[in-house]
Amino acid sequence: MSNQEEILAALKEAVVEYEEDDCAEAAQRALDEGIDPMVAVMDGLAAGMEEVGVLFDTNEYFVPEVLMCADALYKGLDILRPHITLDADIPKASVVIGSIQGDVHDIGKNLVKMMFDVAGWDVHDLGRDVPLESFVEKQLDVKSDVLAMSAMMTTTMMGMKKVIAMVKEKNPDCLIMLGGAPVTRDVANLFGADGYAESAGNAVSEGIKMIGRLREFQKGDIK
Amino acid sequence: MSELTGKERVQKLFKKEPLDTMPCFSGQGAVVVQAIEEMGTQFAKIHTDARLMAQSAITSARLFNMDGVVIPYDMATVAEAMGRGISLYENADGVIYPTVPNKWKTLDEIDIPKDYMSQGRLPMIDEAFKIIKEEAPDLAVGAWVLGPFTLAGQIMELDILLKGLKKNKDATAAFLDQVTQVTVDMVKHYQELDVDFISVRDMGSGTDLLSPRMWKTLVGPNLKKVFDAITCVPSVNHICGSTDMIIEMMHECGADALSVDQKNNVVTTREKLGNDVLLFGNFDPYNTLTQLEDVKEVEAVIKQCIDNGLDAVWPGCDIWPDIRKENMETYVKTVKEYGKKASPAVGRI
Ligand code: B12
Repeated sequence: MSNQEEILAALKEAVVEYEEDDCAEAAQRALDEGIDPMVAVMDGLAAGMEEVGVLFDTNEYFVPEVLMCADALYKGLDILRPHITLDADIPKASVVIGSIQGDVHDIGKNLVKMMFDVAGWDVHDLGRDVPLESFVEKQLDVKSDVLAMSAMMTTTMMGMKKVIAMVKEKNPDCLIMLGGAPVTRDVANLFGADGYAESAGNAVSEGIKMIGRLREFQKGDIK
Repeated sequence: MSELTGKERVQKLFKKEPLDTMPCFSGQGAVVVQAIEEMGTQFAKIHTDARLMAQSAITSARLFNMDGVVIPYDMATVAEAMGRGISLYENADGVIYPTVPNKWKTLDEIDIPKDYMSQGRLPMIDEAFKIIKEEAPDLAVGAWVLGPFTLAGQIMELDILLKGLKKNKDATAAFLDQVTQVTVDMVKHYQELDVDFISVRDMGSGTDLLSPRMWKTLVGPNLKKVFDAITCVPSVNHICGSTDMIIEMMHECGADALSVDQKNNVVTTREKLGNDVLLFGNFDPYNTLTQLEDVKEVEAVIKQCIDNGLDAVWPGCDIWPDIRKENMETYVKTVKEYGKKASPAVGRI
């Protein structure tokens, strides 16, 4: 195994085995050895989290393990992130995220947030039980590309529709992504959202797709 | 023989005595917007006033011919009494359940006040029980408490608790012991109020979150302590979400009845536990009572529950208050008519 492969494997394993110290150490080694930090994040940390997802789906891991894996991942990410240099031509994507008013479920939302962090987005986390107006205010304030909302109850889900109407009225270009157990793609469409993801795993790629579509639209490629 | 009252029907059910028909009641919130409208009040107001709470429970039961009532409606009461605050959403339109705004963030901060039983809304809820017993003596009165694990998640951050189960085992177990004592005190208190049954809902402890192994060591033994403390009224062990992997352990906790939601495979559960165990559940309340547009489908859902071998058809969770009137009527009617045949644990007159 090459040095790089070995370090990436160590990062991955530290995430899967929820070893925070090992993860931090492997991240530091990646920097010391001159491995591209973006590669270390994607092929090390994110690859580990992907495996955690499989372990979760097969009832090998339960939520406590997943949360600890996320903690380990953040230990590595905190070290690698400051060293990631962004392409000046591609503006850094940003997201405002939160669980909707009345909903205190935030475990899933936090995992989605982690994926945006991993992907290097600017993440503004409003937490849970977020008043509808706060989503609007924050989005207008930081002018994020994406507003992501989580609802875990069929009932609180209705609040998202109101936020979408309020945000779109003030800022039609803001892209809105919905998620959470009761939300489906149909619901997201019906509420007027621009995107939906079933799990944390595909939230970021959906976000990127949404932004891509908007840019093409703005360039006039899509009518 | 004259018809049984709702209260008698529920009492007999728990004693497994022959019934005229299956009782229709629930151990989870069953207040409906139709009752709130009739009273000219709002959902946000019925959590803080004994009379409004009692009246909304009774009116909901009367409107739809239910056999019992259950209060309170939200799961924040004990955490609030411990000083963790309460969000009531008085200005939001529609139905939003009260939540706890200031959970303790770490194990070190936790400081359960000695006098919590006399704090927050707990004395008001006692008063509501008194009113219900006076004004609706024919209805079964149910009290409910959170199971220790879920209560722990209401007074401190759940993610820290979950991680603590693995990373900080001893301190977390000690905290869970402390919370178990609170639950024990609560059930003893409701027992003194002479309710007709107590439902213990550890809804945050299913295998959606915890492994069966963790459940066995950190949830089951504490629940057993709670059921051991309920000595003179019938008790129900309710967990929503995934319960197939833990149902036998739930049974070992010693409650008089078990209640599960739509994720449980009731036919298999019945095979595992035998016909003597009282088993309640398990329809999806939101989908069945709020979403379905044809009452024929509602009827089919309820009949399926009965055919699968349940002794009472309970919603898997709180009834979402904004129900469709026809759906609720069909639920009750189907239980009473189709429930005339004996259920696995309970015969008929
Ligand atoms: C844990 C839990 C709780 C905890 C929450 C603690 C916390 N800090 O989060 C506690 C115990 C406090 C709780 C309370 C209640 N809960 Co609860 N809870 C759950 C449970 C068991 C697991 C949720 C979870 O964390 N799953 C694990 C995570 C990893 O998965 P996830 O949340 O689905 O998230 C993934 C995806 O959905 C997606 N995703 C999530 N958000 C977003 C956002 C975006 C933008 C995107 C793209 C994707 C995305 O990505 C995530 C990762 O892949 C579910 C049952 C279930 N199986 O879903 C019920 C459940 C959500 N709860 C429910 C209910 C009703 C309640 C209560 C009202 C009480 C009750 N009667 O049980 C209260 C009310 C709380 C409130 N006001 O918000 C119901 C909702 C029913 C409905 N359809 O309306 C459920 C489904 C259980 C049931 N009975 O069926 N609950």
